[in-house]
Amino acid sequence: MAKLVGVFASSHAPLIIRGWNDIKPTNQEGLTRAMTEVGRRIKASRPDVLIEISPDHWVNFFIDNLPSICVGVGEEHDGPAEPWMKACPFKKIAGHPKLANHIVETALERDFEPSMSHRLTLDHGFCIPLWRGGLDPLPPIVPIIFNDLEPPLPAVRRCLQWGTMLAEAVRTYPEDIRVAIVATGGLSHSIGEPTMGEVDEPFDRECIRHFEDGDERKLVDFLNERLPTIGNGAAEIRNWVAAHGAAGKRGFELIGYCNVPEVYVGCGFASWNLAASA
Amino acid sequence: MRDYWLSKLFFDLQSSPPLGAEYRADRKKILDRYPLKPEVRAAVERNDVQFLAARVNPYLLRFYFVVVGMPEAEFLSKVRKVGAESAARSSHG
Repeated sequence: MAKLVGVFASSHAPLIIRGWNDIKPTNQEGLTRAMTEVGRRIKASRPDVLIEISPDHWVNFFIDNLPSICVGVGEEHDGPAEPWMKACPFKKIAGHPKLANHIVETALERDFEPSMSHRLTLDHGFCIPLWRGGLDPLPPIVPIIFNDLEPPLPAVRRCLQWGTMLAEAVRTYPEDIRVAIVATGGLSHSIGEPTMGEVDEPFDRECIRHFEDGDERKLVDFLNERLPTIGNGAAEIRNWVAAHGAAGKRGFELIGYCNVPEVYVGCGFASWNLAASA
Repeated sequence: MRDYWLSKLFFDLQSSPPLGAEYRADRKKILDRYPLKPEVRAAVERNDVQFLAARVNPYLLRFYFVVVGMPEAEFLSKVRKVGAESAARSSHG
């Protein structure tokens, strides 16, 4: 049986790449430290496969066909298409069709109806944390796209349940492989809105406290109340919620939090606590 | 509210760097390919951030103005003046 060996989160602000030289040295150091540490912990968990949950920033999908959740089931995926991600070493990224299909089948059994793609383009959301985390070469990836961008968005409660389902899918996968999960995005930010550039650090800190506590009801209530009141980018915290569900809601360890106005994002990095048997 | 063809224009431009280059060289030529409503096309032609913001996803709005080369400070200044609070709220999770 497969084993869940690590669950992690990392922000993926584009300006970490596109505007690196404009970031203050202290913030550069904080980001580098946190992203390197996330990468180190992923590597230390020795995953045979990475499940990665990230939004699609209008790369694979448009409003003529916009899945709420899409699982990449193909043998291979493409690296980022954004011109400013040209230096990213990941041009072709191996998938893991067997685990991916098992996730889709488990989801259908558990009353989720995700869409599937046999070839996705993994944009900066997927690739910045892996690239800056030093994960080269990459293990095979099962990409999962959550619609965090175009309302209506998946309910926070369902994202938590998706995560629980994901852990079950890993647990019941018949091969003896090690699987880690990485959720990307968040924390507070605002893109293309009147509040663009605003980081809500008190929100981020409170959000982090809820993830640390592990109390799912308080976390869901907090997000349902607060997400509609802050910038659109915080919707990506749904991915963290799924990771929280997958890890068994035992709380997490904050690896780093960097409020970086230069990249418009309250950047968070974390590692969830897993059951002792994991 | 989402204007489909405006969204499609922004989506196509940010998806294809060659198309973006063509657009910067000859905006009219590319706009002629999209059945934009006259008032929408006029807003595109005058870079009316406020008008456009109410009709597309905020990320596509941001990407579009990166593609056309609007300086970041100018975009930030314009988008922060967008008064349509309801439009902004509609973009929230």
